[in-house]
Amino acid sequence: MRIFQMQRVSAIALLVFLTIHMIVVHYPPFHIDFNRILVRMNQPLWKGIDIAFLFFVLIHALTGAYMVLTDVERFNKYQRVLAGLAILIGIMAFIYGAQTILAFSAPVSVNAMVR
Amino acid sequence: MYKSTGFISFVLRRFTGVALVLYLFTHMWVIGSVNSGPEAFDARLNLVQTPFFKLAEIALLAAVVYHAFDGIRLIIVHYFDVTEYRKSLFYAIFAISAILVIAGGIPILLFALEG
Repeated sequence: MRIFQMQRVSAIALLVFLTIHMIVVHYPPFHIDFNRILVRMNQPLWKGIDIAFLFFVLIHALTGAYMVLTDVERFNKYQRVLAGLAILIGIMAFIYGAQTILAFSAPVSVNAMVR
Repeated sequence: MYKSTGFISFVLRRFTGVALVLYLFTHMWVIGSVNSGPEAFDARLNLVQTPFFKLAEIALLAAVVYHAFDGIRLIIVHYFDVTEYRKSLFYAIFAISAILVIAGGIPILLFALEG
């Protein structure tokens, strides 16, 4: 039941974050390169939004993958192992993603260009 | 049973969900190179900016849109007393998804054809 609720809560959060992400980053489609994304990734507010987005997307993805796998009879008996694996992957991916977002700072030359 | 809207939506939701989990980790891998500098980032990004991947973005859009709207349908069915409208809701979200995928897919297709 807890996993089911985590799925629902993260899904509702994702509706907000994904809509923002798709509109701001991907629509209309254009050629994306380093210079395009650094303006956004350099701002503290966007760093916060991206970390929250990462948090909810990982919860949704990993609880979803766990539910898909445990639906298969063969994997059902490994529920605890799969849950542990999902938590481990989630923590590792969150640290990797959050560290990427937090550590990002635009090169000095580009900073001057952006201002 | 296999022709019921409930079964079709269950299969499509699972299928798109698994595809999106795989995409999520690929996406994180690409964005993760942003702190290694413009050359490293653009080099990794170029791997997924081939015409094939640009066209695959339409499939990605379809998966995201369908998965999101089917999720909204599930939340509506779960939290509101609309069980008798289950089928109609499924057809409605399918139609909305199709319209959005066409509307969003055309610019992606044009962008992909530009090369």
